[in-house]
Amino acid sequence: MKKYHIIPTLFWMGLSLFVMIFSYRLGLRGFHNPGPGLAPFVLGLLLLLISLYVLIDALLKKGRGDETPGEGQSRTNYGKIGLVLAALFAYSFLLERLGFLITTWIFLFLLFRSMGNRWVTTLVASTSTMLATYLVFTFFGVRFPPGIFGLGG
Amino acid sequence: MDIFSGLLSGFQITLQPVNFLYCFIGVFIGTLIGVLPGIGPTGAMSILLPTTFGLSPVSSLIMLAGIFYGAQYGGSTTSILVNIPGEPSSIVTCLDGYQMARQGRAGPALGIAAFGSLIGGTFSIIALMFLAIPLSEIAVAFGPAEYFSLICMSMVFSVYLARGSFVKAIIMIIVGLILSTVGMDLVSGRPRFTFGCGTLIDGIGLVPAAMGLFGISEVLMNLEESLDRVVFKAKVKNLLPNLEDWKRSIGPIIRGTLLGFPLGILPGGGAIIASFVSYSIEKRISKNPEGFGHGAIEGVAGPETANNAGAGGSFVPLLGLGIPPNVVMALLMGALIIHGVAPGPLMIKQHPEIFWGVIASMYVGNTMLLLLNLPLIGMWVKLLKVPYRILMPLILLFCVIGSYSLNNNIVEVVIMIIFGIAGYILRKFEFEAAPLMLAFILGPIWENAWRQSLVISEGNFSIFLEKPISCAALVLAAFLIITSGFKYYRKTKTKVIIE
Repeated sequence: MKKYHIIPTLFWMGLSLFVMIFSYRLGLRGFHNPGPGLAPFVLGLLLLLISLYVLIDALLKKGRGDETPGEGQSRTNYGKIGLVLAALFAYSFLLERLGFLITTWIFLFLLFRSMGNRWVTTLVASTSTMLATYLVFTFFGVRFPPGIFGLGG
Repeated sequence: MDIFSGLLSGFQITLQPVNFLYCFIGVFIGTLIGVLPGIGPTGAMSILLPTTFGLSPVSSLIMLAGIFYGAQYGGSTTSILVNIPGEPSSIVTCLDGYQMARQGRAGPALGIAAFGSLIGGTFSIIALMFLAIPLSEIAVAFGPAEYFSLICMSMVFSVYLARGSFVKAIIMIIVGLILSTVGMDLVSGRPRFTFGCGTLIDGIGLVPAAMGLFGISEVLMNLEESLDRVVFKAKVKNLLPNLEDWKRSIGPIIRGTLLGFPLGILPGGGAIIASFVSYSIEKRISKNPEGFGHGAIEGVAGPETANNAGAGGSFVPLLGLGIPPNVVMALLMGALIIHGVAPGPLMIKQHPEIFWGVIASMYVGNTMLLLLNLPLIGMWVKLLKVPYRILMPLILLFCVIGSYSLNNNIVEVVIMIIFGIAGYILRKFEFEAAPLMLAFILGPIWENAWRQSLVISEGNFSIFLEKPISCAALVLAAFLIITSGFKYYRKTKTKVIIE
């Protein structure tokens, strides 16, 4: 098998060890009176056993050219994905600082524009969406952070 | 309460203007979601979950259920007109539905899909009523051991019927269970895996987790490819199938109903499997199987009926036992729990208004869908053309606002984004998010049942084998694991030999 299978397997092994150590510290107590850590410990152990099986299975077959992963040929657009994630993180960072209206407008403007909409479409779409969501959600009783400019609290 | 008076009270609840409105909103949004590109019913339900928190539990469930079966309708529209299944259970509809559309028979294809869905849906609701009540009466006597084993069986089943790799699905189940242990342990009061984060004390929220896994990660996946579609140009006319169409379809519709309902009860992808099985049966017993794939109306009528009958069937374990058989039902259960209603056998007795209200709303909703879909088909066709570059920012905004507005807590948004990234990476490595979500929602009940059983038996595991129902469930689960493990082993073995 290719590293296509090895990487997630190693990740699951790491996760299972982590879970087992932490749940051991929480207290296992034993089967007659299960403590808070017992269930996660058993689950971690199961995960470890399964990933060990997959890993050994993969290593044994190494060199036999098992299964070609379907990836590689298609060019993944990581730029756009990175941009969307950055926009999401920025939104959650700025929302309580700049307030709902401003943050939302910037967020939408950025996304609409980067998806290849024309300037006019972007401007109209982000402004109208911002206002519409604000009105609808406040109507349903959602309170948005007003931010430094105190707009729309 | 007998069935007749129960149903009558259910209709009284559904026909209250508020619930009627939410039923309409539900099926409307469901159809919309089915038609629009890039977001499935699971994602849509996750995104809209927070908007239902302000409603009564009945209204909320009526609306969410409406989204679910509404999406089945919308999904078939895209299958027929664009050759893109709106959601997995209408994949097979593409085969003959799209061919019919190319031959200028889009109208009858859409028509028979809608009528088949209505018939299959209605019959499955009737069967659901007759099955869920006796089931819940049996299940009242279940102890923690039975629950533990039944949930185990349910999870194994969903792995067994999963589309992808068996081992990967098992890993997803275990990870989902582990994630469900995050938060305060209710027995000892100790926080588990919270690492000092106050938001995590109550556990990882269902809404941010589901929105991330099914909303955000879906958007990230879709960014990789262009989703602009070539919509079928021809005018849709003659929506009513003619006599000949009906003659050919009535058999598949009846078989689809009878087949779809029991398959829908099975944990895993009930409705999806029902549609596939129906298609292959119709093809096998047909007098001219070579017509399939070239626009045979039987190939549309059968699967479209079967998937809606299956959708009704999947409510049986949720309403009767409190064990959701698939991820959509699990989200409905999550909504119930958030409203403080414990799903399970007692729900029908304690909250008859929810049980009967939802059942009656499904009759009303199915009829609404027929009226909404056939005369308004032109509008849906127009919506097919909404470009993804307009849709994508809106989906993201709804996710962010939805998770923030839960508790006005920005940490929930960050959790959602993390789940979105995780879901994207999992999809990249061909892990399915659905078993993870199912296990995540069932986790707390599962762990509780396990611990209670062990306390009762003082650590003796034979408690799970002494009770007949629990024993049968575990034996069946073990059997499924062994057979699919064997299949997996043989498959990898032959692969090596071939090479």
